[in-house]
Amino acid sequence: MRDLEQLVNELSGEAAPTRPAPHPYLLGLQWTLMAAAYLAVALAFSGLRPDLSQALQQPGYVAELLTLLLLFAASTTSAALLAFPDLHQKRLLAYAPVGAFALLALTLLAGSFADTAPLPEHSIECTIDISLVSLLPAVAIFLLMRGYASTHPRWAGSVALLAAFSTGALWLRLYETNDSVVHVVLWHYLPMLLAGFIGWMLGRRLLKW
Amino acid sequence: MEDTNDDLAGLMRQAQAGDQRAYAELLRETARLLRPFLSRRLSADGEVDDLLQEILISIHKARHTYDGRRPYKPWAYAIAKFRLQDHLRMHYADRLRQAEDIAELENILHENVTETAIDYESISGEIEKLPEKQSTILRLMHQQGYTAKETAQKLGMNESAVKVAAHRAYKTLRQKLERR
Repeated sequence: MRDLEQLVNELSGEAAPTRPAPHPYLLGLQWTLMAAAYLAVALAFSGLRPDLSQALQQPGYVAELLTLLLLFAASTTSAALLAFPDLHQKRLLAYAPVGAFALLALTLLAGSFADTAPLPEHSIECTIDISLVSLLPAVAIFLLMRGYASTHPRWAGSVALLAAFSTGALWLRLYETNDSVVHVVLWHYLPMLLAGFIGWMLGRRLLKW
Repeated sequence: MEDTNDDLAGLMRQAQAGDQRAYAELLRETARLLRPFLSRRLSADGEVDDLLQEILISIHKARHTYDGRRPYKPWAYAIAKFRLQDHLRMHYADRLRQAEDIAELENILHENVTETAIDYESISGEIEKLPEKQSTILRLMHQQGYTAKETAQKLGMNESAVKVAAHRAYKTLRQKLERR
């Protein structure tokens, strides 16, 4: 390889003024807003569930939506932090999606005791719909993250797909007229874990720099 | 410690503004800072130099992710650790692959030696038929017992290039011996 001094001269010779990346919080907010805009467009096309105003009277549904929103915001913020080499020294916050997912699981568990809603006839169709809606945000977030320098590519990939899938999951909860906890756990949220695992596998390849 | 951090952060801020002299100084200081860190974790000096250069290139690529208001060292160390892990992962994968190649070759040699007419002379003959560089590497590594690093030094090659050439040679030899 080249001599160290030669390399230093080469690199410093290329040092044009560089615009520093935005703060991860700002970046996370930008990504959240972009995903929210996409969600709004998707809902504008599909329409909202017809009984939404009634559903919003149910504390279980509201709690689930709020924790899902929290997961969505936590995973986009975490993805933004993980795009930086030192995670902006906010390592704990990068793990926030784990806490948000646990909270969502607890909310669903609490809701399951009062679950009287019948199981819908469909099943995997929900997973497929969520995956399709999540595809564009997934591609976008990976492309955006590639512009930075993640030193935790597996974790970053996992969180990126979790962020994309939480967008898809939010869309379906606002579109589908169904409140069966068993159904949403099996076909909406458990596949999100699988998405996280796929992101873990993809991260090393796609976030290489 | 805090002062060095401030100095380096200041240099990086100047570098981000396009000051080439400050950037060169920052890279030299970073190399000075990281060399002991890498030396403690890697055995060969050549490896330390190679990795240090890789880290400086990574710092160069990622310099837009540095926030001038934050300390420089944690940012630079995060990149250094990441590249070190990558390097070690590749190093051990390489050694494992090499060990597997040798083990496979040995298995072939031990299988029905009397029936397949594979003997020392025929293997040596096959080694001689390999491209010159590959056969020299195999002779040095497996007949004279040199390590990949020693072979690289002897032939004036890079250690990774020796491993790659040896890997290709094993593959060719294996195919030839299996055909018998």
